[in-house]
Amino acid sequence: MMNLARKTLSRIGITVAVASCLLVGDGLWSGTHSASAQEVHVTGPLADKPAVMKLRLWRKNRLQLEPFFAFTVGDDYSRALIFGGEVRFSFLDWLGIGGWGGGSFVNLNTDLTRQVRDKGVTTNRNRLSLPSRENFPDQVGRMNWMAGADVHFTPFRGKLAMFQKVFFDADLDFFVGAAFVGITERSDTSIQVAPDGTQLCDPPAMDTGCLGSQLARSKRVAIAPSFGVAFQAYFKEFMGIAIRWRAFPFKWNTGGTDEAGPDGGFPDGQINSSDRQRQFNQMINIGFIFVLPPKIKTTD
Amino acid sequence: MEFSLDEVEDEGPNRAAQKKVGKDAKEEGDLIEQLAAEKEVEGPEEPVPAREETVEEIYAVQQIYALRLKRFEIAPSAAFTVNDKYLRHPGFGVAANYWFTNVLAIGVNFIWYDWGNPLERGTTLVEQIQRSFRLGVPINEWQFGLWANFTYVPFYGKFSMFRKFLFQWDSYLIGGVGVMRTKPIPVFDPEIREFNWDMQVSFNVGIGLRIFLTRYLTFFTEFRDYMFLEKFENVNVDPANRDDPSTWLAGSSTFFNNLTVQFGFTLFLPIKFEYRLPK
Repeated sequence: MMNLARKTLSRIGITVAVASCLLVGDGLWSGTHSASAQEVHVTGPLADKPAVMKLRLWRKNRLQLEPFFAFTVGDDYSRALIFGGEVRFSFLDWLGIGGWGGGSFVNLNTDLTRQVRDKGVTTNRNRLSLPSRENFPDQVGRMNWMAGADVHFTPFRGKLAMFQKVFFDADLDFFVGAAFVGITERSDTSIQVAPDGTQLCDPPAMDTGCLGSQLARSKRVAIAPSFGVAFQAYFKEFMGIAIRWRAFPFKWNTGGTDEAGPDGGFPDGQINSSDRQRQFNQMINIGFIFVLPPKIKTTD
Repeated sequence: MEFSLDEVEDEGPNRAAQKKVGKDAKEEGDLIEQLAAEKEVEGPEEPVPAREETVEEIYAVQQIYALRLKRFEIAPSAAFTVNDKYLRHPGFGVAANYWFTNVLAIGVNFIWYDWGNPLERGTTLVEQIQRSFRLGVPINEWQFGLWANFTYVPFYGKFSMFRKFLFQWDSYLIGGVGVMRTKPIPVFDPEIREFNWDMQVSFNVGIGLRIFLTRYLTFFTEFRDYMFLEKFENVNVDPANRDDPSTWLAGSSTFFNNLTVQFGFTLFLPIKFEYRLPK
């Protein structure tokens, strides 16, 4: 029996392995199965026609009314549940303007808020940020209402088959605009040390341990860019549903804590506008679309 | 048995039906039947089967752009956890599926999460919680996840862009079972505690969207929830038994939802195939 050197054997092995891979790979890449799709060569009367004929114009010169339910997502301390509505008018089938607004009817504490309420520790070093753990849910920032105006851009539209039985029209609505958000935050305050070593917050005067300042609230309106995308599906000429993701980032003090000073230093013993941090606020809307006039037009 | 003209001229029920059909055909303008009915019967006639009026409607339906049946699918992707506020978990994944019907597939997917020091991927919220509330946050790092899945495609559609370009897309549901390999990062007693990787049984469900760029290449995005029971570090340190590893983990497991968004490409193999039409 012929004996081959180990090097030679390894070379043969590598060659066989590579050849096997090439053969199998070639089979995978070029082999044919019974599954396939057709190549459409359009000839005759359909040649040079637009991609879509008898296109239903869901939006052009129509008014869309959309009552919605929404909830914020990705919140650190408080989640808002919102009822609202949106109105859109489209000059073209792919371009329109709209306005929206809603009010928060419930604010839910997140798990982190509950953890701080149950396990937070107050010391002289963090008394301003957490005067009392029991009252922490009352010091976090909340969204009360929101409104805005958007430009809507709907380049993608088409039809969808569900379980190969139900067919409906659908589109993707991209929008960008401005949002106005009514929020409640912890009021401005600062901490001082009395001659006897007691920590006081001002205002309110003589607020020992900052317990009063923890519950003091102030309201303001934050202005933010607003953008997002919606999936819209139409079941009747005048009715459909929309699932919408919207982002409206702005700075606010969600935890009511001392995070930074005016020069970016930390902490400065004050709660004020310097402690607002940029938050990527997001919400998900689920709405019903009602379209006026109810009769739809089609293209040639 | 003998056959005679008497027999064929006998007017039975078939014969009556023939005449009636001829009359109806005349009324309805069927030229062949009309000619046959007007012709005088001079000899024996073969019995003619009764004809029924049928109305056929023919629809021209465009065939499905890309079939999946009996094809393999290889899908590399990037994965981003969206609901962990304390630690970012970017992952690189790859999935392989085999489509045994045009809407059903079986396959596996794998995601690798272990990229360098996990504490460098911590968010500012961890710092804020420690500083403002004097609380430590137990966090775990992940090494990888591996799942076996079923995929079902209930939605299939096409979109047009400005009435000029058409593209095909589908939406699918996916779910399966597998494992996650994780370990706690020692936060509460890092000088003493040290943890080893451990496997956790994991389930996942999700929904995906696939856009066909060609008949064998697609772009896809998925929203998946990888669920597992996670063992976190014990937030309490017992000074008397500080070195006892049995006290290092929390007493109970925590149900963890790893909500992940994945983006990637799919390659269908073989890339060429034949469309078989019904005969």
